[in-house]
This record gives sequence, C-alpha cells and structure tokens, in this order.
Amino acid sequence: MSAPATSPAGDLTTDPVDPRPFIEGTQTDQTINDTLLHHVFRGAGKGWWACFAVALAMLGCLVVALTVTLVKGIGAWGNNIPVGWAFDIINFVWWIGIGHAGTLISAILLLFQQKWRTSINRFAEAMTLFAVMCALLFPLIHTGRPWFAAYWLLPYPSVQGIWPQFKSPLVWDVFAVSTYFTISLLFWFLGLIPDLAALRDSATSKVKRTIYGMLAMGWRGSGRHWAEYKWAYLLLAGLSTPLVLSVHTIVSFDFATSVMPGWHTTIFPPYFVAGAIFSGFAMVMTWMIPARQFLGLKHVVTMRHLENMNKVMLATGMMVSYGYIMEHFIAWYSGNQYEFAQFFEVRQKGPLAPIYWLMIFCNVVTPQIFWFKRMRTSLAVMWVASILINVGMWCERFVIVVISLHRDFLPASWGSYAPTWVDICLFTGTIGLFSTLFLLFLKFVPAVAVTEVKELRHETEHDAHIEASLTAGVTGGSH
Amino acid sequence: MSCHDHDTAKPPGKRSGSLAIVAAGDETPAVAAGRKYWRSVEERSGSPDILKAAQREFPPGASELDGVSRRSFVQLLSASAALAGGVACQRPNHKIVPFVRRPPEVTPGNPLHFATAYSLEGFGSGLVVESHSGRPTKIEGNPDHPDTAGATNSIEQALILNLYDHNRARQIRHKGEPAAWKSLLAELATRSQTLAADGGAKLRFLVEPSASPLLADLRARILLRYPKAKFVSYSSVAAEGQSEGARLAFGRPLEVRNDLSQAAVIVSLDADFLVDGPEQIRLARQFAAARTPGANMNRLYVAEPCLTVTGGMADHRLRVRGSEITGLAQALVAELSKLPGAESLAPLAALPKSPAGPDAKWVAAVAKDLARARGKGLLIAGRRQPAAVHALVNAVNVALGNVGTTVTYWAPVLHDTSNGIESLRGLVEDIAAGSVETLIITASNPVYTAPADFKLDKLLARIPNTLYWGLYEDETAQVVTTFIPAAHPLESWGDVRGLGGRASLVQPLISPLWSGLTDADVLASLLGEGDLGSHQLVKEFWRKRAVSSGWNVGASFDGLWESWLAKGVIDKTAEMPDTSVATNPALLAGTLQPLLAQAPKGEGLELAFTVDQKVFDGRFGNNTWLQELPHPITKITWDNAILISKTTATRLGLETGDFARIEMAGGAQVTGPVYMQPGHADDTITVALGYGRSGSEEFARDVGFNVGALRSSRAPWFDRGVTLTKTSGHKKFGITQDHWSMEGREPAMETHLAEFMKEGSEFHERVEGRRAPVATIHTPVDYSTQPYKWAMSIDLNKCTGCNACVVACQSENNIPVVGRDNVRIGREMQWIRLDRYYSGEIEDPEVIHQPVACVHCETAPCEYVCPVNATVHSDEGLNEMVYNRCIGTRYCSNNCPYKARRFNFLDYHEDVPSTRKMATNPDVTVRSRGIMEKCTYCVQRIERTRIDARVEGRKIRDGEILTACQQGCPSQAIVFGSLNDPGSQVSRQHQDARRYDLLGELGTRPRTIYLARVRNPNPDLA
Repeated sequence: MSAPATSPAGDLTTDPVDPRPFIEGTQTDQTINDTLLHHVFRGAGKGWWACFAVALAMLGCLVVALTVTLVKGIGAWGNNIPVGWAFDIINFVWWIGIGHAGTLISAILLLFQQKWRTSINRFAEAMTLFAVMCALLFPLIHTGRPWFAAYWLLPYPSVQGIWPQFKSPLVWDVFAVSTYFTISLLFWFLGLIPDLAALRDSATSKVKRTIYGMLAMGWRGSGRHWAEYKWAYLLLAGLSTPLVLSVHTIVSFDFATSVMPGWHTTIFPPYFVAGAIFSGFAMVMTWMIPARQFLGLKHVVTMRHLENMNKVMLATGMMVSYGYIMEHFIAWYSGNQYEFAQFFEVRQKGPLAPIYWLMIFCNVVTPQIFWFKRMRTSLAVMWVASILINVGMWCERFVIVVISLHRDFLPASWGSYAPTWVDICLFTGTIGLFSTLFLLFLKFVPAVAVTEVKELRHETEHDAHIEASLTAGVTGGSH
Repeated sequence: MSCHDHDTAKPPGKRSGSLAIVAAGDETPAVAAGRKYWRSVEERSGSPDILKAAQREFPPGASELDGVSRRSFVQLLSASAALAGGVACQRPNHKIVPFVRRPPEVTPGNPLHFATAYSLEGFGSGLVVESHSGRPTKIEGNPDHPDTAGATNSIEQALILNLYDHNRARQIRHKGEPAAWKSLLAELATRSQTLAADGGAKLRFLVEPSASPLLADLRARILLRYPKAKFVSYSSVAAEGQSEGARLAFGRPLEVRNDLSQAAVIVSLDADFLVDGPEQIRLARQFAAARTPGANMNRLYVAEPCLTVTGGMADHRLRVRGSEITGLAQALVAELSKLPGAESLAPLAALPKSPAGPDAKWVAAVAKDLARARGKGLLIAGRRQPAAVHALVNAVNVALGNVGTTVTYWAPVLHDTSNGIESLRGLVEDIAAGSVETLIITASNPVYTAPADFKLDKLLARIPNTLYWGLYEDETAQVVTTFIPAAHPLESWGDVRGLGGRASLVQPLISPLWSGLTDADVLASLLGEGDLGSHQLVKEFWRKRAVSSGWNVGASFDGLWESWLAKGVIDKTAEMPDTSVATNPALLAGTLQPLLAQAPKGEGLELAFTVDQKVFDGRFGNNTWLQELPHPITKITWDNAILISKTTATRLGLETGDFARIEMAGGAQVTGPVYMQPGHADDTITVALGYGRSGSEEFARDVGFNVGALRSSRAPWFDRGVTLTKTSGHKKFGITQDHWSMEGREPAMETHLAEFMKEGSEFHERVEGRRAPVATIHTPVDYSTQPYKWAMSIDLNKCTGCNACVVACQSENNIPVVGRDNVRIGREMQWIRLDRYYSGEIEDPEVIHQPVACVHCETAPCEYVCPVNATVHSDEGLNEMVYNRCIGTRYCSNNCPYKARRFNFLDYHEDVPSTRKMATNPDVTVRSRGIMEKCTYCVQRIERTRIDARVEGRKIRDGEILTACQQGCPSQAIVFGSLNDPGSQVSRQHQDARRYDLLGELGTRPRTIYLARVRNPNPDLA
C-alpha cells in the first residue's frame, strides 16, 4: 500500500495511446481543495480587479447601446433595406455557437466517458450559459417593437386569438434557445452542488456559509445523495446531447428555410453545428489558456487537455471547410444564376469580399496548423489560433447574414452595409457582459469541478494501484 | 369615376367643408397661425405647443444625430414627470364648435372630391382634390380636363405638401414690420393716386406667365387706369426659343402644340417632352398609347446632351452637346431637302453649316424615316434650344405636312408672347435707368432665378416701393419693402386656361391657413378692389363674361357657375388652332443666317443648365416629397450634381462624388459634387437649376448648390469656355439605386419589334419560360372561387420612369420622408421603387425603367417567416400587412426577393409639424417606429369601392378601383383589377404575349406581372 503514496498519482494512466496524465504533480484532496476551491475565500488579486474593471467598462457600453436602441429604435444601427439583419443576428448566432462547446464537453464527452473533460467542463458550461445569455439579448432587442416581441412570440392563450406563426423558424428559435438555456443552467447548477457544499463546509464567515449553504440546497454527501445526483447528472447529460445538434440546426433554419441565395442551403444544419463547436472550443481556449496560468490550474488543465481541444478544433474546422466547399460546389452544380453570383461574384469579389477572405483564412487555413504536434502544444500558437478562429467564425456569420442580403436577386435593390457606433458598442457590450459574468464566476465559484477532479484522482490512483500490484505480481516487484 | 363625385359636390360657393370646425375667437393672425380654422386633438392638450417651442430651440436636423439626442433623452426623463403632472388633467383651452346642422353633402368618414386647377407654366391642368372633413388630402387629375385626362405629374401630386408646409409665409410685412391687409390697402389706395397721376409711368408689374382670363381682365383694367404701366411676364425657364421660333417661321406669334396620337416617327431635338413642359401629361399619354407593339408602333429618336426620361424611351438616342443641336437640325434639314416631298426646304439647307459634324448616318436615317412618315412625323425642339432651331423645326413640320396631325399652331393663349429672360431684360434696363418707382412682383422668386448678370437683388434695392407676393419668405422676400403671403392654389379662387384655351376655375379646398392672398387680390388692390376678395372677383368676371358672350345663363348665373365648378372645365372657352400657317423657307433662310452665326463658340467645356423635375426652378425646394424623390435618371435624392460623361470625368481626373469647381470665362465660379452620368455628351457639364436655396424655407436651404451665379442672360442654357477643376472633398449622394447593370438577369425584359412580331422567336420562348407556374409539392390555393382576384400589370413599354406614381403612392399612403442621411444608408420609404437599368455601352446606354412594389405573391416568401402572423394573405389574394401585429423582426423583408418592403427604422412621424399632419389620409394608418410596411394595392380604395358596390347591391366593376399609382400615371402603364373577371383589362394584360413574371422562377406566383418592353429600332441604323 505504500506504492501510491510514494509514486505521484497523476503520473499514472490507463491510456496506452497517450500516457500523459490528466492531473499533474502530486495531488491530494487537500492540495486540490487549496488550489481549486479555497481561492473563492481569498481576496481578489489586482489582476482580477483590473480585468473586472475593463469588463465593467465594456458592460457600460452595453447599457448605453441598449438605451439608445430602445429610445431611438433600430435606426440607431446600420441595418437597412436590403440588409435587414446585420450585427444583431451575427452576434446572436456567434454567441449561440460559442455556447456549444460547453454542452458538448459536459454532455457528450460525459456520455462517451472521456475523462479529460473533467477539468474543463465547469469552465465550458459556464461559458455556455453566459454565451447563451449574450445571445438571447439579440433576438429580443433586434425587433422593432421589443415590448411586444417579448411575449407575442410565445404561444399563450391570448385574447387576441392569434397564435405565433409556427411555420416561422423564428418561433422555433424561441423554443430551441429557451430550452437550451434552461437545460444548460440546470446542468451547470447541478454539477456545482457538491462543490457549493464543500465551499459551505469550509466557509470562513457566517455570511458566506449561509449563502453557499442555501445554494448547496442541503447537500450532505450521503450515499443516497450521490446516487441520485449521478442519475440526475446523467439524465441531464442525455437531454443536453440532442440540444448540441438541435439548437444550431434550428438557428440555421432561420437562413436555410428562406429563399435568399446564400441562405437557401440544405447543408446549413450540420455545417452550423460543426461551426458552433469549432467556435465554442476556440472560445474555451481563448479563456482557458490565461485562466490556467493566472488561477494556478496548470496541474489540472494540462497540455494534454489543450492538445485534445486543438484536435477537436482541427476536426470541426475541417468540417466547416467541407461545408464551404459544398456550398460553392452546389452553387455551381445547381446552375442557379443567383446562387452562383452570390458565391462566386458577390462573396469573392464584391465590396465586402475582404471579410469573406478573412473568414477563409481564419477558419480554413488557421486550424491546419494543428496537424503539427509542435503547434498543438505551443500555448502561444494555440492562443493566437483560437482568437483567429473566433474572429473567423464571426466573419462567417457576417458573410452569411450581411453579404447574402446586400446583393440578392434584383440588382436595383442592392445595397450596402456599415455598422454604426451603436452596433459596435452593442457587440463590445456583450463581450463585456460575458467577461463580467465570467470573472464573477471565476471569483465566486470553483472554476474546475473539484468533486470530479477528486473523483478522477481517486480513480486513477485506484487504477494505478491495481496496475502496480498486477505488475508487481507478474515481475516479482520492480519497485 | 369613383373619385370624382360631381353629384355630391357641395354648393361650390360655400367654400367646401373646410369651415366645418371653426374656432371661436382668436383672431391674432401671427400667433394663431396654423390654428385659425383647425383644432386638433393634440392641440387641445396643449402639449404640442410646448414641444414645438422646444423644437424651435435647436437647428433643424438636431434630432437627426446618431444616437439619442440630448433632447429626446431629456424628454424621456421628463416623460414620467409629465405624465404624473398636470398635462393630462388640463381641460381644453379652446371650445370646439361642431356643426349645428350637418351640411347634406357631408357624411362623416366619407371624403368629398372637388375639381380645381393648377398652373405651373401659365397653362392650367385640371385637378380633382380629395377632401376629408374639410382637409384636402390627395390630388388627382381631372378626367374631364382635356389635357391631363385624369393623370398628374409628380409635382402636382406633391402640391398638397406645399399647402400644409409650416414654413409658408404667414404675415404681411411692410418695411420690415408686420402689417394688416386693410391698412396696407389704405396705403395702396393713397399711393395709387400718386401713381395714376403720371399714368403709372413708373409702375411695373413682374408677373408669372399666365393665361388666366381673370388676370387678363385685371391687367386690362389696370392698364386703363395706369396706361403707362408695364406688365412683364417672367419665368426663368420659359421656352423663349419656341415662341420666337414660331414668330420667325410664320411671321406672327403662335404657340406650338404637339400631338402624338397619330405620330409614327418622333424626332426630339433636346426636348424632354415626356416630363417637361405644359404638354407633358398629354404627350406621355399619347406616346405610350402608340407604343403598343405592332404595325402602328411609333418610333422615337432623341438627340440630347444629358440622358433624360424621354431619351431613356428613345429607340435611337444620339448624345450631342446642347449647342450642337443647331448643327444637327441644319444637317437634318439638308438631308430632308434631298428627299422627295421636302424639296421646299432647299433654301434652308443652303445656310452656312454650324460647326461640329453630327453623325451623318444617324441624320440620314432619321431624315429618311421622317420623310417616309409624311404627315405622321413630328420634329420637336426643346425649351432650351434657340429660336433658330425652333424655326427650322417649324419649317420641317410644315414641309412634311405634319401640321394639323402631329403639330398645331395656336394664337397665343398666354397673356404675353415673351415671358422669359429676354422679357425680364426690359424691366432690368428700366430699373437701371431709374424709371421704376413701384414694382409689384407676383412672379415666383425672381431674385433667385434671374440670371446673375441682371443683379436683380441690387436693382430691387434701388426701387422705393417693391411689393412681393409669394408663398414663402424666399430670397426675393428678403429684399422687398412689402411682402404679402400668397394663398396656396388649394386655398385660392381663380381661373386658368388649358393648352387648348379651355378655362378651368380654381376653387379653394380650405380657407387660407395663414391669411394668404391671391395674385388677383394683389392686382385688384391697385384698382381699389383689394377688399373684394378673389371669390367675388372671379365670379363677377365670369358672370360678365357669360353675359357678354351670350351664353345661356338660365335662371341664375349660380347654376351655370356651379356646373363649371363641378366639372372643372368651362367648355365653351375652347379655341381652335390657326390652320393658315405657312412658311417661306427662302425668307426664313435670310432671317436665320445672322442668328445661326450667334451660336455659342469657343473652346473648353460646355455648360448646360437644366430644369429640374423635382424642384422645377427652385420653387418646390421645400417640398420634402419632391426633394426625397429619386431623380428619374440619376436616382439622386436631396441634391443636384455636376453631371459629366465618364470620358470627360476620366480626362479631368474626376469621379462620382468628387467636388469640382466650375469656372466661367467671366470668372464666376461654383463648386459642387460630380456625378458620372452614362449617356452624357462628352465635354459638356449639366447642372440643374433650383438648388442651393437661401430663403427662409428650412428644407430647401443648403440642399444642393446654386448654379445661378454661372447663368447669364446672354447664354441662359448653354455656355462655352468653361473649366472644371477638381477640388478637395467627397460627397456621398443619397442615391436609391447604386447598381445600374442587370447582371445578365433580365429583371426588366425587352426585345425588338421585329423579334416580337416573329412567331416562335427566341423572345417568345424566353417569355413563355418566365410565366409558366413552377412545379410545387403544395396544391396552390384556388382563388377562382372568390368574387375578386386582385392583380396588377405594369407595361414596361409605357413606363417612362417619370415618378408620378411614386409621389401619388406617397401621398395616398402616408409614407414618411426620411432625409438624405437615411436615404444614403438605404432607408428610403417610398413603396414604389423605380428601378432604372442601363444596358449596352456605358457612354451610350439603353435605358429601361421598371417600377417595383410588392407584387402580392400568391405564395409569398414573406408570409411564412413572420413569427407573429403580421403579414398574411387575404381571400382575394392581397398580401396584407397587419401593422398592429408587426413586431419588426424584418425577416419578411430579408426573405422578399423583390425587396419591396420598407421598415420604419426610426419614428419618422416624430418631428412632423401639426399642420403637416393634416395632409395624412385618414383611411390609411400612420405607421409607428419598428413596423414593416409595403404596397397594399391601395386596400383602402378597394374597401371603399366595395362598400359603394354593396350598398348598390352589385359587384365592383372593372376599372372602378384605381390604385393611386395607376390613377396618377400619365402614360397609363399600370392596370389594376380582378383576374376572376375574364373581360377585365388586367385579365387581358395577363394574357398578353409580352407578359412575364418577375422572379416567378422562385415559385412566388406574383399577382403583379410585367409586360416586356419592345423597342422599335430603325433597321437602317442597326
């Protein structure tokens, strides 16, 4: 029994392909508590405050932009006829897409029993939640009369006797996104409960104990609690799984069911989902790399995690590229002059073509560097790449929304588009909202699922132990 | 004729229902301006006054700034306080006096229609005005009027906005002080004694060209009393060449009237006759009627410097510099004289040729065609052309036997034969000589319009007494001693005469909003009759006229008078053309020789001035509908531009939007933005008159640039020796259509007559392919069981792109104006977009216009994407917008392949002054911010007609419903009706061989279809 104590638990792994550990260094429950849990009770550092100040300032932009939008109307934006949708829907789709990584990591990887998800799932789930919150803002405020949109889109028995129009993808969106938000919130909160209880138990003041205690909802860590908890978690994971596919599929219907060249495409659902995961992982990377540095999470978020994520990005990036190729192929193969003009003239040579080419560079060229292990394991490279992919995916939505709309069927109706300061403020503002929520999350809630990491540590320790004894049995003891 | 209720017209003497709601008390005119006769609900609460005062504090446009203005922010902050405070609890300050007994002709909610007339260039066009509860709201043409036959142009449609313009002058000013009409009359009475003493030797009148019998009578009586006084008719854009040209050709002053109903070959020399001049509506109608493809289809040749609406309709267009038209006319005469039947022109052909060699092949082909169509040809010269060209044109028309069929000559209907810049010259000389002491001006804004070398503003300052009567306190009002606000034509009594001499009465639709007076009042004041009022003046005049002419007055003159008012035309006043015209080419050649030598010469660029189709000579500058109207060719709104050809622009290193300085040989210079106009003649600059105003009109001010400084009386239309130099800066025009090419998509189809006449030709195949319904997995809704299946057809062969429909729609449907900044970013609101495409060479393009509004797809892409059912289909096939339900996702617009939907991005009705709100059509909802809107097929007109039909227990007849665009269209290109009536005109159009569905390949099944344009080129020029 002394072997585990002397050999670092994290050095052991059962994975014959990649022998690197998911938890580095010698860790005990105590060290994990210290590094992952108790930072909640320590005062925030200068760095956090600095970041928070910036985030709050950006959030201020959101308040200003929202006020202007509500007071003046959509005219405060750059939207026009023919470009009826622009930054509003671009940002909506972009944020929704970013949310997808969280759900994928939490749910699908859980179901596939991918152990490497453990250290990053909380982080990614929180990201989902905040991203969906940012996204949800847009469908509401982008309407001309949000005070009616807020409830006319819902199927309630109204005295007007009018239901929403169920043929409209926008109504589907309402269901898809609200379901997504609800499930994501529940899933995230459920996963937090044991950690909240741990916080309650180690709280340094009565106020904190009371708050965390209420949030922990009476968690005592009994066997029955654990059993029910595991089932609930698994069920929610099961519910979330189809959402990964359905939400962005339905978002893509906003475009795919229309008649616009550039929108009217059957490849949109899979291509949107792949793009969503692509951008979601990129966003996780963008935040994770600095966070593990500054929050001292290097031992639980290891290079192996990062490399796996890069591989996912490479895979989804290739899917997105395939989507681009197919769009262009079909535009040519269909012989439809409007489609052909949209893909080969307007996008590639039109006045907004630089955005198209930036998209190609970021989304098609950039992920190719992850074929190389040196690149996959270089923090600087992957961080820059993740930002480029975020930019690229935003450009993709710009291409789909604005470039498709600004030159459609009748050349006389063609227009152009330029955002106003309100548009830019609104986008910056949602980044501010996201950052603010994220920084608060990092400060007040364990950013890594402590319980799960401990569980993983115990599991790997246990596995190592068995393996060690087996090896000892066969060879007669190598230690 | 549903919109022309003669039967229900009120007893005309009673000034309609406008006095229906009359305020008690409150007589101070200046303070009560705008509310003397009207008490609106807003006004009762008292709050708009407060808001209005607040608005005044800031310059116009302050609220247009991006983001939230400080004002709206403060408004919001104070809104809650205001709501909590006393405003809502205040009782109305004014009593509203309702009808004690309702006049029999007034049914609340039903509009009345009154015939009246309007004259712009001296000739009257008949109008029928719709009036709701005493508010005129919509102008239509009078179908009984011989010239306009029910149609209108964009300016007439927009007149309603001028009526309610809150910038209109409201106050008589005498020597800078407010004055009352009565005290002014007293002063005029004393002054008239002095003036009469020397026979009015120092009295002058500067008046608008007119044919009004009443004004003629007043003039005659004034000249009796002041025999030495002089009347000067002046319009800065008068067709002086035309009247002088007729005098040269025929030896006596005659007016030219064209008639295209029988014209087979029309050759226009710089004449934009479809949208310019007093004959435009009739000519557009006749031209379009003869465009039906077939053996009798007419052919149009146009030679002009800058692409115009008429040039766009041409089968062959030649771009030539304006001053080279003279040479072209001579070449044409020379060519014609060689042909049998026109040999009599030989003496004219021998005249020395003007410089520049016009396209010989073109001239030969045109001459041959004209000679071939002997008696059915027509040569027209434009208002800008000199007398020599007009004289040659007259000679050709006489020689070719066209007189009597395509052209007639009339003894002058206008009071004066000379009414342009030359006529003003005499007055200017008199003033300079100090022989004018009292000048009475009723011409529109002469200080702004007069050529720069007249320096009229300085001259007017020298005259002790200047009296100006105008609608606005414009540039002229600023330099006169006495200013009298004019009543708008819709507030006035008066009369006009049409092109054929037929008189129409002008009757008011509403009492003057701001105590305006008519020009008859002003002239009568010199006869001591200034207090009679124009109603009495005009009625008395016509009573005497009826008696003296021996007309059957009957029991009382009132009956006859009312029949004239109801019909809008006094038939017996029509005149006949002068049939005894003859020319003597040899004599004419001698007369023309010195004139031809005067043609503008010199190196450098040529500068051409053009009459604007929106602001005319500048007088409509404050009309926001017209300012925001996309120019028919350039599609520029809210601006004029320096138009040059691409070749010239490239040579000078200029691009569209660059600022450039025009410098005359004399040193005068003006800077403006450049616009490269396809089809523009090289080495020529075209600039529109009427912009860059500096009067008190807030919207007209600083829109565009004033080219007046460049215009001299020596060369009022074309001048040479001009330089154009690039300066700093760049202008982003408010252009509604940036892209001119069809990109090979052919939204607007066209073909040639030969191709069209050939059975089974490639054109017919293409058309066939564009009307077959697209296969669908759904069973299409069967509309044939409905009583009506509304549909429209637009004939591209007839549409000239004149814009009348756009303004008609704007007026009928309460469409807001958004301003240049919003047009720039694609937020114009007009429901009809007049798409203008060029094809062929960029320097010599062919033009095609295509009006696109909602086409009411049977399977509409907009409908299924709306999440709240705000756009739905009616049983009769209308694609309806439910404004109340719309939340403004703009998804419908995104999914509309025609992009026919318009969105209220901002609250465009927010800063609309109270008076302006009176122009709104109560049958149409005013849309709030955040709402989508689009063409409704004038559903309010359908429903109103349906009510009438139901009351009478019958079906709606074909042609009983006219949509606003259809009613206004001078060329009758738009037809509306039910497809379930196989005999309806629209059903026939839907069966036409030229019918095709725009974007029908998407499966939209549009109800508005188009008829392809057929060009009729001359095979000799192929």
